This record gives sequence, C-alpha cells and structure tokens, in this order.
Amino acid sequence: MISKNLTAASTKPIILGILKQGNSYGYLIIKKIKELSGGKMEYSDGMLYPVLHRLEKDGLIKSNWTMDGGTRPRKYYEITALGKEELVTEQAQWQQVNAVLNTLWDVKPSTT
Amino acid sequence: MFKLEKSIANWLKSFRKHPAYDEASYLEMELHLRDHIEDLIHKGYTEQEAFEKAVAEFGDVPAVAKEEYSTQTRNRTMGRILYSTLFKNYYKTSLRSMMRNPLSSFINVVGLAAAIGICIFTYSFAQWTYRTDQFHEHKNEVFLTTFFANREGKIQQNGRSPVPLAKRLQEDFPQIDDVCRVQNTHAVVKYNDHIFHERITFADPSYLSLFTFPLRSGAKASLEDKNSVILSDRLAKKYFGEKDPIGQNILIKFSDASSKTFKVTGVAEDFPPSISFNFNFLIHFENIEFGDAAYDKNDWSAFVDATFIHMSDTTGLNQIAKQMDEYRILQNESKKDWQVESFAFEPLATLHKRSADIRNAINISLEDGYASIIYLTFVGIFMLVLACFNYINISIVSAAKRLKEIGIRKTIGANRKIIIIQFLSENLVATSLALGLGVILGVYVFIPWFESLFYFDMGFKWMDLTLWIYLPLVLLFTALASGLYPAFYISKFPVTGILKGSVKFGKKNPLTRFILGFQLILSCMFVTCAIMFTQNAQYLANRSWGYNEDQALYVEVPDASGFRQLSASLEQETDVITIAGSSHHLGKSSLSTIVKLPTQDHEVEQIAVDANYFAALGIDIVQGRGFQDHSEADRNVIVVNEQFVKKILGGKPIDALVKIDSARFTVAGVVKDFHNHSFETEVAPTFFRLADPSEYRYLSIKVKDGTQNSMYQSLQKHWITHFPETPFQGGYQEDVWGMYFVEIGIHGKVWRGIAMIAILLAGLGLYGLVTLNVTGRIREFSIRKVLGANIRSLARNITKQYIMLFVISLGIGSVLSYYLISFIFDSAYTYHMPVGIGGVSLAVVTLVSVLLLVVSVQLSRVSKANPVEGLQME
Repeated sequence: MISKNLTAASTKPIILGILKQGNSYGYLIIKKIKELSGGKMEYSDGMLYPVLHRLEKDGLIKSNWTMDGGTRPRKYYEITALGKEELVTEQAQWQQVNAVLNTLWDVKPSTT
Repeated sequence: MFKLEKSIANWLKSFRKHPAYDEASYLEMELHLRDHIEDLIHKGYTEQEAFEKAVAEFGDVPAVAKEEYSTQTRNRTMGRILYSTLFKNYYKTSLRSMMRNPLSSFINVVGLAAAIGICIFTYSFAQWTYRTDQFHEHKNEVFLTTFFANREGKIQQNGRSPVPLAKRLQEDFPQIDDVCRVQNTHAVVKYNDHIFHERITFADPSYLSLFTFPLRSGAKASLEDKNSVILSDRLAKKYFGEKDPIGQNILIKFSDASSKTFKVTGVAEDFPPSISFNFNFLIHFENIEFGDAAYDKNDWSAFVDATFIHMSDTTGLNQIAKQMDEYRILQNESKKDWQVESFAFEPLATLHKRSADIRNAINISLEDGYASIIYLTFVGIFMLVLACFNYINISIVSAAKRLKEIGIRKTIGANRKIIIIQFLSENLVATSLALGLGVILGVYVFIPWFESLFYFDMGFKWMDLTLWIYLPLVLLFTALASGLYPAFYISKFPVTGILKGSVKFGKKNPLTRFILGFQLILSCMFVTCAIMFTQNAQYLANRSWGYNEDQALYVEVPDASGFRQLSASLEQETDVITIAGSSHHLGKSSLSTIVKLPTQDHEVEQIAVDANYFAALGIDIVQGRGFQDHSEADRNVIVVNEQFVKKILGGKPIDALVKIDSARFTVAGVVKDFHNHSFETEVAPTFFRLADPSEYRYLSIKVKDGTQNSMYQSLQKHWITHFPETPFQGGYQEDVWGMYFVEIGIHGKVWRGIAMIAILLAGLGLYGLVTLNVTGRIREFSIRKVLGANIRSLARNITKQYIMLFVISLGIGSVLSYYLISFIFDSAYTYHMPVGIGGVSLAVVTLVSVLLLVVSVQLSRVSKANPVEGLQME
C-alpha cells in the first residue's frame, strides 16, 4: 500500500496525465486512478475534488458543464496548454527522484 | 426500508454546513455519488450496500470540505476576481445574451454612448479652457501691471498703464528682471499685391523671452532691430504662402502720412490652440512714434495697452506694489479726471480667468469658457443619468423575460453572487462597448461639430494622461450607476418562486416608474431650452435696433479729404438718399466720456457726427431738434438719447446745461434709444455732438430700399478709384455687430443638439419599456383580440399605465423648465424674448408626440399580429 503522503504528492501529475489522454469528469477520473494503481493507492474519493478545483483555479485545467444525450449533466475537465507544460515539468521531476533512488539502491536505471 | 433518494439528499445536506460549496459543487458531488452507486448496483450490490460503500469511499465530508475551502481562499486576490469576472467565461455569455436582446442592447449601448460622447466633449472643452496660456514657461513669473481707479463711485481695475511706468519700474526696482510694453494698433500692410488691414503689435524686445512663442525660423534677438518684423505662422502663410518670408520687405502704412518698410526676420511657430493673446506682426516698441504722432514717452497721462514685468523671484512682488505711490501721484497730477487709487500685478497664469473683471485688458477673457464648463458638466451628468436610467429600466423589465434563465442558473449551481457577477459583467461589456462608441462619437462628431460652429480648435489630444484617468472613471461610474441596482434586484428572487411562476416583477416596479418620470422631467427641460433658445434667436434677429440699420451702408475713410472725394462721387448716384460724415459710428466706435454734474460724474458714450447723420441712419428725434449744417452755434449743443435723459438729466432735458471736460454744452434735442452695440450690452447714456469736418473717419449713406446690394458694389468701385492702395473697410450697417447673430444662432444649435440627444434617450427608454411591456402581454392581447377587442381598446390598454405618469412628470417638468429658462435667459442675455408658456407647451407637445409615436408603433405590431401565433407561444 502506498503511503498517504506519496499518494497526495502524486495526485497532480496523475490527474494531468489522465486528462492528457482525453477529457473526463470527476467520477471517471477516480475510477481510472483506482484501476491504474490496482488498488494500491488508497484514496478517499472526495479528496479528488478539492485537487481538481485547485488545478482549475491555477489554470492547469478547465471545466465545462455538458449534457450528453439526455442523461445527467456532467462537469467535464480538460487540460489546458499551461497544464500540459506543467505535466512536462512534473514528469522531469519524478524521473529525477526516480533516478536518485535508483542510483542509491544500485539498480540499473529503467529506460522507460 | 431503505430509501435511496432520501439518503442521498441527507448526505448532500451535510455539505450545506460548509461555506466552500456552492450549487455547482453540490451538483458535482451528487453526480459523483449517483454514478458510483449506479456502478455498484450494476456489479450486484443492493441499493443500500451500494450507497454505504460509495459514501465510505467518498471519505469524510468535513475533511473534504476543509480541503476545498483552503483551495478557494487561496489566491483570492483582486486581480483574480477581476480576471474571473472579466475574461473567464462571462464576456462570452454576456455577448450572447446581448445578442439575444438586440433591441434593448442597442438602446442601452447607443444611449450610454451618446451620454459618454457628451462627457468626452465636456472634458475636451474643459481641457481647452484650463490650458489657456499655460504653455508660457514663465507664466508664474510674468505679471501684468494694472491699476485701480474710481469711476462713478465704483473702483475698477484697469489693464492699461501710463506710458513712462515701464521705464521707471525697471530703473527703480532691481528685483524686476525685465519689463515689456505692448501696444496693439491697426494699420495697412502691403506686400506686392497683398494689401490688408492688419493688427500690428509694438513690443519691447523682451517680449519673446517673457512669453513662450518659439520661432520656426529667424532669431528672437532680431526684435532688437527697429526695422525688423516677426510674423505669426498664419500671417506668414497668408502673405508668402509656401515661400520663405525671411529677408522679404513689407510696408506698414500706419496712416496716410506715416509708413515704414520692415524686413521679415522671424516667423513664429503655430500658436497653441488655447491662447488668450498673440500677435500677427510684431515690431519694436519704439516704432510707436510712426503709429502715434503725439507719442511722448514721458507723458504720464498717456497709456499703453499693457506693461508686463518679469521677476524670477516673486517674493518681493507685494512690496513693489506698495512702493509705487510715487507713480500714482505723478499719474494723478497729469490726468486729473481719472484718479488712480493703487497699482496691482496680475499673474499671467490666471490672467485669462481674471480679465473679464479688468477693463481694457490686453487679452480675451475665458470667463465664459469656465461658465460653459459648469453648464456642460450638468448636461453631461444629466445625460449619463438619463442613459443609466434607461439601462436600469430595461434591465429590470427584460429580466422578466430572463426569469427562467436565472432560475435554471440558480438550480444548476449559481448562487446569488454568481448571478450578480453575471449581470455586472454583462453590464461591463455593454458599458465598455458604449465607452468605445462614446469616445468615437465625442472625438469624431461632437468636438468637430462644436469646433466648426465656433471656428476654433479645441486641440484634442489622445496623448493626455488625465484623459486616460478620466475615461476609466467614466466607465466605472457608468458601470456602477447602471449595473448595481439591476444586478442586486434581479439576483434576489428565490428559485422556487421563479420556477413556480409566482414571481412577477418589472411591470409594477415603482422604481421603473420613478425613473421614467425623472427622465421625462429632464427631457422636458432640455427640450424647452432648445425651443426657447431657437425662438429667442429669431426674436433677437427681428428686434428693432432703434434706428434704420436696414437701409444704411458705411465705410471708413482715411481723412477729411478722403471723405470729400468719396462723398462727391457718391452724390452722383441716384440711389443714394443721404450722405453723412462722422468721426465715430454706430456699432463701430464711440468715445467713452465723463460728464460732470454737481453731484456725481457719469461715464457716457460720445458720438461725433454731422448734421445728416440722424437722417442717414434713421435715428428718430423725439424732442427738440437735430444739428444744423455747419452752424457755428451748434458747436456748443448736444443731442442726447433717452437713457441719458433718464439716468442723468431727469425732468426737462431741452436746454439743460451739461459740462463735458471743461466745456459747457446745451441739450438741443433727444433721440430715441438705439442699440449702439449688440443686444448683449445695455443701452448706455449717449450724446451726439457736431464733428469738425477734419475729424471725419466714417462715411454713411442711406440708400433707396432694394438697392442695398447694388449700392454696396458701387461704393466699393468708388473706393477703388479713389484709394487703390487702401483696403476697403465698410459694408452693410446690418453687419456691424459681426458675429453676434451667428453666435446667438449657435446657442440655439447647441441646445437643439443636446435636446435631440435627450429626446432620443427618453424616446429609446420609453420605446424599450413599452416594447417589453407589450411583448410580455402578447398572450393577453391575443386573447383580447380573439374576444373582439378593437384597436382603440388595445391602445387604451397600452397607454393606460403611462398616462398618469406622463401627466405628473410633464406637469413638474414644465414648471421646472419655466423657471430654469427664465434663470438662464436672465443670466445669459441682456435683452431676451419674454419667457412665456409657449416654449414650455411646445416641449410638452413634442414629448407627448414621442409617446404617441412609440405606442402607435407597438400598436400596429399588436394589431397586425396573428392572435393564433401569440397564443401558440410557449
């Protein structure tokens, strides 16, 4: 099980990464994270929303209410240009952390 | 039994305790939970299990809420709020909703733009006035010397000064850096074929260093040379066109006996647009002896037009004024009838404001400009208020049409703040558009129009810091004044009420009625002013001048022999009835004279004429007689006007004795009062005396009616044969007041312009209201039509609610207008038409017709409409 602090720290790049693959709404985003982590990242679903709203406030993502096909309205989130830049920075940072840890533990750095 | 909906509702309630959530956030949480539950049910969970699992996985609500709250309070700077209000999404929705109601948007934007245009114009006019003379570098160090003298018991400040004063000031006060005497005169200027009458300025060489009139070519020092002349830019172009004038010789003919050739050594740059004095031809002061043979630089009883002093350190200024007693005594000894009480200095920076109170000041007074700023500011503010009222009214009434939109916005999550922001940003978009349009209107329509009316240049500049402070202030004012009330009013209605249809507003809002009433009152006042000023221009144009100006022509003659030559050839003309000579002339010149009575001295006007003058000008003698031709005995009699009798002689005027200077005169006759000057000045006590033929400077003729034009041409022809070297200065007697009637006409034009905008604003507002009203009741009208209502009853139905309002507002408006116009007329005109109820009634009729027009347009819409369509709606 991944610790709470680490989970919290990685939420931002994860959300941005998910949204980069396509627009989505809150429930779907959560579902996707859970699937990807195979249940190893423990979230309380509700905590996702303050993060989404903060990202929106910072201009990394934007939202739109839409009605698709007579079902219920959904608040779709979409990554902005600024968000894409931020994602690149985050990626670089995580890879650096990864590299430092790999060196320490004397494991051959992964190429992915 | 587990009830899913109730449980979800209860769960949602737990969010309500936290300030972080608005309607949109609730909805997002609710949708999340529902999605989750649905998924779980699909996987085979029961409703209850699914609900419990979803809630558990959602996590602790207070913790989530706390996190959410900290997200929201972060970054709550003014900039972010502005950003979110201005640019985020609202401008799009604002533009969309504006396009949805093009009529109201048009009325709002155009109305506001017209009002803002007037504000821009007012601003530009104020700038023009305030900037007057402020370009002079030494404006706070240069002073005009003035003196106070007692005339008829009144202390009056005078801008002229004794001739020797400048020299004495410079000698006696080392703290004065420089002095400069200035004298203006008129002379004939000749260069090749160009011969014109021009204003010539004599000035000390210090003139160009005291005043900031930079030269575009030539050297300032050249003014030291008595044979040099410096031209203004305008005059250089008039005489030399594109040619370089430097080094050219021009001849200045001060009189027939005295002329001198000058070499052009400098040309000034174009003068700034706001200026209260300037020069055309600037020559060394000492040339004054050519212009005035009697000039004596030591004569304390003679005056120059102005004496300026320059002090780089102004602290000793008051001291100097106190130490000038010696000059006062010198002056009073040499000019006993005009006792100077003290001297004073007027700073150049404020001279344009003060000169209305200074007699004979060398510059023009801008006092009227300052008064106009006040009028224009009132007009501008009233217009803005009218336009904002339109906005408020239309917003409130059209919100009735937008009730559903507001209701839906509220249900999908908008709280009151968001609705307010939405309406305010719509308003901001509208006012910004209006500001843009208003600036264009002001700069490209109003200002050029006004400039062309008064033939001047307001010098409007875009590069002006205060303009860029002023414009946002106008925007802020309009946005708040027009937007705040509707935004708060509209946003306060509860969702439930809106959706149930129990909320009805706008139609019976007392504020809309009050606002419309106020608009009507204001429009009534503006329209009355427009009508009355126009009528008054007409009235003054037809007002009698007190003599027969219609059949008279006049011309200025150089001297007595010139008069004899011209009158000899004019006697051959059969259409000339009378020829008269005079040294002064009605409307052109008179001499200010002191009449001494045992009790008091009076200032009166003196006009020296020959025996034919009364006949030539058609001045009526009401008592006694006129002058007899060349009668020596008549040298000691005068003819006075009725004012002279009323104010000075009283009782029986004929044979009364009057002492003027040291001579005694007997009153031989009384003439009817006449307007020597324009209707701006009150008729002054005036007397005529017999002029010596050597004094003749004017020739006047009375011609047969209908021959004025042909005689004007023959007068010019005779002139050219006798005086080919001197420009013709004369014309129809009707034209002696110059621009006076043009200016009176302009008053009418300006007010008509303002009234048009006011009517437009009130009309647009009314149109908007009636339209919305009719649209809102289209079903009702359709039903009425189906049930057989005719046009008349529909008309009654539409107008019914406005009639009381119209009666009350126009009642108040006409009373206010009556007093306003009386006040304006009394303060603006010396003579004006009697203020009756005619103008006010016409204004009321105009406004009622606007109402009828608006209603009839809507009525035809309703009557043409097919009631079926009206009922099908919704």
